[in-house]
Formats: sequence, structure tokens, C-alpha cells
Amino acid sequence: MTETELLMWARGPALQVATVIFLLGIMVRILEILVLGRKANLAEARGSAVAGGLRTIVTRSFPDRGTLQRSTFNIVAGYVFHTGFFVVLFLFAPHILVFRDLLGFGWPSIPTPIIDATTLVTIITLLAVLLHRVQDKVMRFLSRFQDYLAWFVTILPLVTGYLAFHRIGLTPPTLIAIHILSVELLMVVFPFTKLMHAFTLFMARYYNGAIAGYKGVNS
Amino acid sequence: MSASFKRGINSFKEQMDAPVAAFFSSCVRCGLCSQACLFYTETGDPKYTPINKLEPMRRVWQQEYSFWGKLASALGISKPVTDAELTEWETLVYDSCTLCGRCSMVCPVGNDIAYMIRKMREGMAASGHAPEGLIGATQRAITIGSPMGVKLPALQAQIRHVEKDLGCTVPVDVQGVDYMLLLSSMEIMNFPEFIGAITRIFRHAGISWTISSQAFEATNSGIQIGVSEIAAELVERVVRAATELKVKYVISPECGHAYMAIRWEGPNLIGRPYDFKVVHILELLDELRTSGRLQTSGKETQRLTYHDPCQIARRGGVVQQPRNLLREVAADFVEMPEAGIMNWCCGAGGGVSANERADEIRLKAFIRKKKQLDEINPDALVSACSNCRIQLEDGLEENEMDIPVLSLTEIIADHLVEKEQKEGQQP
Amino acid sequence: MTEITNDREFHAALDGLDAGQQRLAAAGFVKSVLHLCTDERIARVLEVAADPGASDAALAEALKTARATTIDCHTRCGSEGDWLEQAGYFVARATVAALTPLGQMPGGVAWQAAMSARMAQTSKSIVTGENTAGQESENQYRLLAGFLNS
Repeated sequence: MTETELLMWARGPALQVATVIFLLGIMVRILEILVLGRKANLAEARGSAVAGGLRTIVTRSFPDRGTLQRSTFNIVAGYVFHTGFFVVLFLFAPHILVFRDLLGFGWPSIPTPIIDATTLVTIITLLAVLLHRVQDKVMRFLSRFQDYLAWFVTILPLVTGYLAFHRIGLTPPTLIAIHILSVELLMVVFPFTKLMHAFTLFMARYYNGAIAGYKGVNS
Repeated sequence: MSASFKRGINSFKEQMDAPVAAFFSSCVRCGLCSQACLFYTETGDPKYTPINKLEPMRRVWQQEYSFWGKLASALGISKPVTDAELTEWETLVYDSCTLCGRCSMVCPVGNDIAYMIRKMREGMAASGHAPEGLIGATQRAITIGSPMGVKLPALQAQIRHVEKDLGCTVPVDVQGVDYMLLLSSMEIMNFPEFIGAITRIFRHAGISWTISSQAFEATNSGIQIGVSEIAAELVERVVRAATELKVKYVISPECGHAYMAIRWEGPNLIGRPYDFKVVHILELLDELRTSGRLQTSGKETQRLTYHDPCQIARRGGVVQQPRNLLREVAADFVEMPEAGIMNWCCGAGGGVSANERADEIRLKAFIRKKKQLDEINPDALVSACSNCRIQLEDGLEENEMDIPVLSLTEIIADHLVEKEQKEGQQP
Repeated sequence: MTEITNDREFHAALDGLDAGQQRLAAAGFVKSVLHLCTDERIARVLEVAADPGASDAALAEALKTARATTIDCHTRCGSEGDWLEQAGYFVARATVAALTPLGQMPGGVAWQAAMSARMAQTSKSIVTGENTAGQESENQYRLLAGFLNS
């Protein structure tokens, strides 16, 4: 296969398959949750479950002081790499072009040097996160294969993207093909792993807030 | 009740609902929950990480309720849960968890881990993996009416003494009054002065109330062990009595899990709403305070702090009321760090104190509370749960800390403004 | 000659006592129900409480022992209660009250000791089935009156 054929395949059939698995997989995972349902609460309410649920979706992003003090690295590193990942994914001009093709509209980008720096910071933070996962006794104890797999498929697009942008090692078409394939790997792995939290955390936070809000507690 | 491994697994399956599935789907193994759990913070043992306590249930969810998991099971490449694992998890689920819910407050993806532990106990109990102490307590609750074997004559004796001392009647089985009071066995056995305190307060405030001779027990061992049928039966007894006596309110006394059971789980256990309301004694006392029916005089001068019982505050929603009440009767009330809904558990709720096997870890967990107290150096500790009180006394004594533990209701009673008692007035 | 006939007078009289006097009065209430406690630590500790010349250090040590006894004697949550043993628990609690520094217990330490002593009697009556309501209270009124008049 020539490098052009590889790139065409990555941007064509591979992307289609990956997208189908990604979207279908997410839908199945979410439906699997919803189909289990919830029993109605027959106790007399003190507060609003809906308001509590919606509130917790937002407030759970802001840890209480005690938790921040006890788990500083996890929380700060978590915010840094999530933010960095989304900034690079959504605010890099070439990516926005892809979205414009898919969605029919785009949005402003931010200057490439900033994206570049953000990518580096995100990669370094992810490396630190992995180190922490293997060194911290609780995280090491909790971690399974899929935790390391999820880490790998998350950092890979950042690394391959950085290499592609700076044209390091291989020819540009090959580098871009590899980058696109790494994104497709992420998409295909996504619905089968904890990466689903990107969607299900809204549900989990909602249920948490609703259960507590019903009793008049802000969780 | 015959238990078997199969029944246990089926019970896990019955417990699955959308929240459980959302929670298990979202866990990113970050370990933040461990830092919220006093059993982890005071032992440093990662197995006490809250989400880890759910591992068998998580596997059942994955293998039965997720597409990929079901596929893996069908292909024979998944690891089914074994009875040996449930044996191993028994101490994690019962000895090192009080259902305090602090983990549920900090999980970044929003998992309500305590909600799931409560459900997991259903499967553990069904498979025969509940602690002896709790099994005994539950059996006594069903057959005798009290987990500690407190029978009506014992309560009647306590009542007779209160009546003689106070010179008034403690109403029993009176129909058509506003409030029916429940009492926990712990109170009747270890802190019976609560009965006298309540009688004085209700007489002072002109509350019409009664105790039911058929259903005076507040404690619900069913929700601690995790057998909903038993929990429902215990709630039904209270509902029957409250309905027969045609009361408007049922009062939950100074016991954490009793409040959770009757106020929040009760209607869902019996499958229908109540035709009465439930109030915690602290809610009632605060209502009396705001309406002017509770008049106190004088204040405690010693430095007091308040321990929030988890099932009343964080899991129950009664947070401000004890503080309002304490400010009326305490000149020097100081909050401990992280007070309120983020307060730390005493270490003994949820059946832990009923479980002798858990004694060692229970006292280790108490060190978290000790650290909170060390930061403010109070003269005395106030709480509103009899089980917390015993644990706090035990922990303080173990750590040679010279701090008495007091009941909020009793403090209020001690500061009541004396009113002229009209002759022959029914309190 | 002081006479006490009800709890209001009883409480008021106790409130008028200083720390040392409250301790001695409380020790008297405990002595009256001491036979209901089988833990020999309490008998020992009570002697310290009843000693007008006991040092602060001795009192503190006695309080520690009394507290430890209370913890050992209480009925564990969810376990089968034995009212005879509970009587011993209340005697221990009364002893703790007697030895607690004044001001640390709402209502006063001697009052709390009296209440716990009464509960010890109630616990026994639950086992024997006798109606002893008011008996220990009357006894305490007599004890206090005697103490005040001495």
C-alpha cells in the first residue's frame, strides 16, 4: 500500500467504520443504562430531585476544599489534560475544518503556537498521570488492563498529531494517516471502556444529585 | 431464610437500575473515593477504597447488563463471581462501611457509592454472607420486635419511672393525637433518660403525642443487613400502628439509620406512600423553636461542638436544625472542620457496631473523628444518634480524651423554661 | 431541717452545692445502687469519689476507670440486652457522673448521677417485674436531705 492509499483508506472506509462503531457503541451503552429504569420515589420529597440532579452535574466539577487538599495531583492533572485535550481537539484550525465538513458549520480557531504548546503540556501531563497511576498505591490497586488501554488510546492521537504537525520521522501523508488511524483507534475503543464516562458522567451526576436533592441535600 | 450463592447473584441482578449502571459505566478508577473514606484514611489499605467494595457487584453488572460484558460471558472469556469472592468481600461490605456516603459526595463522575453498597448488601445477605451480629439482631427484631430484645414490659417499666419522677403521664396508645414517637432500642437500653427528656419537652410545648405499645421500635436492622423484606415488615408495623392511632406525624428519635429507614426508604420498601408525615426529633424541636413553643433559658458555658450523624445530615437532609437549636443553649458553640454534610462518620453506623468482628477497625476509623476534634479542642461533644454516642464514648475513652458526649435533646430538656403546671392537664 | 419531696426541690438543692459537695452527694446516690454492679472496678472507684480529701489526680484516674467500665458494660447495638447487666452499666454511668468536673454535664453532675442510679434500679425492676417506680427517687430525696443536714 502506498502512503497515499493508506491516507485515503484512513480518511475513507476506516473512518466510516470507526464512526459507526463509535456512535452505535455510545448509543448502545447509554440505552443499556436507560433501559434498566428507576423506581419512582414514594417518600415525601423535601427538595427537588430534578433541580438537584442538574445542579450536581455542574457543581461536581468543583471539588470541596478537603478533597482538593487530599487529592491535589489527581484533580489538577485531571483538569489540565482534559482541558488540553479538548482545546487541541476543538480549537485547532485543521480539526475545525473536519468538523465543518461533518456538521456544516465551524467556529473560530486559536493560534497554532498555543495549540502546539497545549499539546506538549497535555502529553507531559498524561505521562505524569500514568506514572501516578502506577506509583500511587490506591490507583495501582484499582487499575485494570482497560485503564492502561484507555490511557494509551488517549495519548496516542496527541503524540501522532504532534509528530504529524512537526513532520517528524516519516513523510507527511504517512504521519497524517497514522494520526487519523490513532483517532479511529480511540473511537473504536471508546464505547467499550471507561472512556464512556465522557457521556455517562452526566447521567451519574444527575442521579446522584437527584437522589440527594430529593432529600434536600446539595451533593 | 435459606441463603445460597445463586440467590445472592440473582439478588445482585434485581438490584440493578439505571443509576447503578450509570455509576459503574462512569468510574474512571481515579481513587478519589478512597480519600473520602475514613476506613481507608485511617488504615492506608487500598482494599478499603469504596469502589473496590463493590467489585463483585460490578462484575455481575458488566457480565449481565453490558453488551460487551454479555458477549464476553457468552464466549466464556469473562470471570464470573464466585462464592469465595463473596466471602472475601463480606468484611469490606459490612465491617468497613457504615453507608456514611462521604464517597458519594466526592466522586468526580458522580457515583453514589453508598447507594450501591446498600444494594450490594441485599445480594450478600441473600447468599449467606452477612455478619453474625446483624443476623441475630435482625432475627430478634422480627420475632421480639426489637433487635436488642427490648420487650414492652421493659419499656413500660421505664415509662412508669419517668411518670413518677415527672409527675405526669406518658401517653401510650392514645388515638387521634398529632405525634407518635418511636424509640430505638439503643435509647431504651443505654440512654433511657431520652424518654424523660422528650416527655418534659412535649409537656412544655403542649404537644399532643403518644407511644404505641405495638410499634415502639425505631431501629430497622433490615436496612443495615440488607434484607428488604424484613426492612419492609418492620416499617409496616410502624405504619399499622400510626394508621390505627390516626396520628399526623411519626417522630424518628436520636438514631441515624432509623431515620433513613422510616423517612426515606420506608414508603419504597412497602410500595406505597404513608398517610402520615415523618419528622426527625431535631426537625420537630426546631419547628417548636421557630414557632415560639420551645422556650429555653440559660446556656451551657463549656465549649461545645456537634457531630453530624451521617444518616441524619448528609444522607437525611437534617443539617441546619441541630445548629439552630444548639445556638439557643450554648454560649460557646464551635464547628469542627468539615462540619455539616461533609462531616466525617463516627465509624460505627450501618451495622458496624453490631458486628464484634469489626471492633478493631471501628476503633481505628474513629481516629478520623479524633483528628477533627484535635483541631478545635472542645470541652464536650454533642450529637443526635445513640449509636454515634456509644462509638464516640468508646473512641474517646480508647484515646484517653476527656470529653463527655451529650445528647442534643437532653440538653434542650435541661434548659427548658419552667412553666406553671396546671392541675390535671394532660401533657 | 431540710425536706425534699419532689424532683424540682431535689434539683434545686443539688444546684446549690459546690463541686466537692456534688461529688459526695453523687457518691451517696451511687452507693445506694452499688450492689447492682458486679464490676469490682466501680466499688474501688466509688471510694475515691466518696473521699472528701481525694486529690485531683486520683479523681481523674478514677474517672478514667469509671468511663472504661461504662464502655465495657454497655449493651452493644443489635446484641441481646440483659437488664441485670444494664443495671451495672447504669451504676458505672452514675459513677462517671459523680467524678465528672462540675459544669461538664447539663443539669449538673450530681443530678446526672441520681438519674443514672434510678435507671439502675429500673433495670433491675424490669427483670424482677416489681413496680419500683419512685422508690429510688424517694430514697435519693432522703439521702440528699440527710447530706444537707449533716
